[in-house]
Amino acid sequence: MSASLDGKPRNGRLESFTYDDGIVKLFVIATLIWGVVALFLGVTIAFQMADWHVNLGLPWTTFGRLRPLHTNAAIFAFCGNAIFAGIYYSHQRLLKARLFSDTLSKIHFWGWQLIIVSAALTLPFGITTGKEYAELEWPIDIAITLIWVVFAVNFFGTIIRRRERHIYVAIWFYIATILTVAVLHIVNSLEIPVTLTKSYSLYAGVQDALVQWWYGHNAVAFFLTTPFLGLMYYFVPKAANRPVYSYRLSIIHFWSLVFIYIWAGPHHLLYTTLPEWAQTLGMVFSVMLWMPSWGGMINGLMTLRGVWDKVRTEPSLRFMAAALTFYGMSTFEGPLLSIKSVNAIAHFTDWIPGHVHSGTIGWNYMLIAGILFFLVPKLWNTELYSKKLAHQQFWFVTIGLVLYIISMWVAGITQSMMWRAMDDAGNLIYPNFVETVIKITPMYWIRAIGGTLVLTSFIMMMYNFWKTIKNGKKEAPVVYEAYALDSSSIEHDASAHRKLEGWPMIFSVLSLIAILVGSAIEIIPSLMADKYVVKIDAIKPYTALELYGRDVYIKEGCYLCHSQTVRPMAHEAVRYGKVSNAAEFVYDHPFQWGSKRTGPDLARVGGKYPNMWHYKHFFDPREVTAGSLMPQYRWLFDSKIDYKTLPKKLEVMRKLGVPYSQEEIDNSVADARAQAKMIAEDLAQSGVPMKIAEMDVVALIAYIQRIGVDYGSIPEEE
Amino acid sequence: MKQEVLKHFDVPWLPLTALVLFVVCFAAYTYWTYRKANRPHFESVSRIPLEDPSIKTNDLQGKIS
Ligand code: HEC
Repeated sequence: MSASLDGKPRNGRLESFTYDDGIVKLFVIATLIWGVVALFLGVTIAFQMADWHVNLGLPWTTFGRLRPLHTNAAIFAFCGNAIFAGIYYSHQRLLKARLFSDTLSKIHFWGWQLIIVSAALTLPFGITTGKEYAELEWPIDIAITLIWVVFAVNFFGTIIRRRERHIYVAIWFYIATILTVAVLHIVNSLEIPVTLTKSYSLYAGVQDALVQWWYGHNAVAFFLTTPFLGLMYYFVPKAANRPVYSYRLSIIHFWSLVFIYIWAGPHHLLYTTLPEWAQTLGMVFSVMLWMPSWGGMINGLMTLRGVWDKVRTEPSLRFMAAALTFYGMSTFEGPLLSIKSVNAIAHFTDWIPGHVHSGTIGWNYMLIAGILFFLVPKLWNTELYSKKLAHQQFWFVTIGLVLYIISMWVAGITQSMMWRAMDDAGNLIYPNFVETVIKITPMYWIRAIGGTLVLTSFIMMMYNFWKTIKNGKKEAPVVYEAYALDSSSIEHDASAHRKLEGWPMIFSVLSLIAILVGSAIEIIPSLMADKYVVKIDAIKPYTALELYGRDVYIKEGCYLCHSQTVRPMAHEAVRYGKVSNAAEFVYDHPFQWGSKRTGPDLARVGGKYPNMWHYKHFFDPREVTAGSLMPQYRWLFDSKIDYKTLPKKLEVMRKLGVPYSQEEIDNSVADARAQAKMIAEDLAQSGVPMKIAEMDVVALIAYIQRIGVDYGSIPEEE
Repeated sequence: MKQEVLKHFDVPWLPLTALVLFVVCFAAYTYWTYRKANRPHFESVSRIPLEDPSIKTNDLQGKIS
C-alpha cells in the first residue's frame, strides 16, 4: 500500500497524523471579511473622485486618509489572509505533515489581524509614514516583522517535519515569498522615530525614491505574484484533478522570476555607462525573462485544457481560468508601460490604477475566488450552496473590472494628451489644469460603477459561502498515515538538481543568496545615489514651521493626488516651470514625489499664489477653482499647531543629516511662531482673524509657499 | 529623475557582474531542467498534489502527531 514515488517499496516507520484545518478556516473567514472592507473602501474613494461631496467633510473620511487604508486593506489584509489560508492548506498536504506548531499558527493569525486593526485605527487618523504601500508607522512595522518571523518558523518547521522528501514547486514560490518580503520590508521601513506615532525615513529625496520604488516594484512581484503563482501551481492541478501541464516549465518560471529580481535593477542602467554589447545582451534577456510569465500563464491554462467543459460549470475552475487570463494581460501591460515612450504618456495618469486593478482584481481576486470555491466546501464538509449565484458573481466581477480598465485607459490617455497639447507657438492648449480634470470626470463615474459591481460580486460570494458554511457538517478530523522520512527514502543515484530539491534548507539558502545578491545589485546604486547628487548651496533646509506644515501635507495624504517633480519634457516645463533637479530633495525625509497627478504638480507652487488664495482653497477649493474635485480641509482651520514637538522633529532631522544648528533647534518654537504670525498678518489684511496663527492651515501654507522656491530662484543657465 | 541620477552611477562592473551571473545561472537551470535523465523524476514530483496519504481512521482513536 505504500510505495515511494518511483514505485520502489518503502519500509520506514509508519506514522499517523492529522492536518490543522482549523487555522485554514480562520484565515478563509478573515479573507472574506477584509476583502469586503477593502472593496468597500475602494468604491468609496472611487466615488470621491467622481464627486467631492463623498469626502463627507470629515478628516478621517477624506480621500487622502482612506486611500492608504484601501491599498493596505486590499494588499495586506485581503490578499495577505488569502495567501496564508492557501499556503497553510497546501503546505501541509504537499509535505504530508501537520503544521509545525498550533500555537505559532494561532499567534500568526491573531497577530496579523491585530496588525490590520491597528492599521485601521491609525491610517484614517493621519498616522502615516507617507510612503506608498508602506504607510504604517514604526511600531506596526516592528509587529509585522515579528509576525512574519513567526510565520517563517512555522513554515520551515513544517518542512523539517515533512514526510514527503521532494519539495513541490509551489513550495519554492512560498519560500521565495517569505524570504524576499522580509528583506523588502526591513530595508524600506528603516526610519527614526520622533514619537510613538511619527517617524522620518532614513533616506531622503532621490535615494528614498529609489528605495521606495525598489520596494513597491518588488512588493507587487513578491506579495501579489509569487505566492499566488505557488497557490496556482497547487490549486489549479488539484481543482482540475490532473498534474500541471509542464513541471519543467514551472521550474524555469520560478528561477526566472527570482532572477528578474537581479535583472530589473541594472536594466535601468542600460542606456548609460555600459558597453554596447552588454546593453544588447541585457535587452535580449529582459525579453527572455518576460516570457516565463507567459509561460506560467500557459502552464496554468494548459493544465485546464483537459477539463475545459468543466470550466463552464465549476465555479472554481472558471475563476481560475479568468485569473490566468488576466495575469497574462497584466504581465503584458506591465513591460509595455515600462517602455520609455509609453511611460512618458502613462505615468501620473489613471492608466496606472487601471493597470494595477487588472492585476489585483483580475488576477488576485479571481484566483482567490477560485481557490475559495474549491476550499470552502471541502473545509466545511459540504456542497456549495449555489453554483448559479457563483456564475452570476463571475459576470458581475468581470463586467465591473472591464468597465474599470477601459474607463481608466480612456481617462489616462485623454488627460495625458490634453496635458501635452501645445500650439505652434509653444503655448499650452489647455493651460488650466482643472479643464483636464472636468473632461475625464465621466470616466470616474464609470469606474465607480464598475467598482460597485465588483463589490456586489464579492458580497454575492460571501452570501454563497455563508449559506454553504451553515450547511457544513462537523466531522472528526481524518487521521492519515504516511512513512517518516529516513534513509530508505533517499535516492542515492539522484542527479544534482534532484538532490537540491530534496534538500529544502540548502535550496532555501541558495534562493536566499540569489535574492540577496539580486537585491544588493539592485539596491547598491540606490544607496549610493546621494553621492551622485551634486549639492547646490542655494537649497536650504525647511524652517521649523515649514517642516511642521510638510508633516500636515503627509498626514493628509496630499501626495496621493499631487506630484512634486517636473519631468524634463517641454510641456511640463511650460506648465509647471523649471525641470526638477535631484539636489532639490536632499532634505526631504521622506520624498513626496507622488505617483499620480489627480491635481497639478506642486514642485513649483511656492510663491505662485498669494497666501489668501491657499487659505480660501483649503477651505473650499471650488471657491477659487470652479470644477475642482479636491476635498475641503476645514478642520485644518481649527486644529492647533503642536509647537512643542518641533525641537524633537528638528533633532531627528539633524540625526538624519539635515544641517540644523543647535541654535535653530533651541529656537524652533519661537521661530515657528514668528513665521506663523507673519503669515497670519498677511491673511489679516483680507479680514482673517489673527488667531489663525495658531492653526495647522498656516503651517501648511508656509510649506506650500516654500516648495521649489530655493531651486526655482536660481537663474536659469543659457 | 531617478534615471538622471543613476546616469552618474559609474560602477560598470556591477551591472556587468549581474549580467554574467544571470547568464550563467540561466544556462545552468535550463540545462538541469531539460536534461533527459531528469524527466521521469519531474513527472513523479508533479503528481505530489494529487496524492493523498492513506486514511487510517475517521475519528480520533489513532495516535496523533
Ligand atoms: C482628491 C485629490 C486631491 C487631494 C487629496 C488634494 N488635492 Fe490639491 N488639487 C486637486 C485638484 C484636482 C486640483 C486642481 C484644481 C484646483 O485648483 O483645486 C488641486 C489643486 C491644488 C493646488 C493648486 C495648484 C496650482 O498650481 O494651481 C494646491 C496648492 C493644492 N491642490 C494643494 C493640496 C494640498 C496641500 C493637499 C493636501 C492637504 C491637496 N491639495 C490634496 C486634487 C487634490
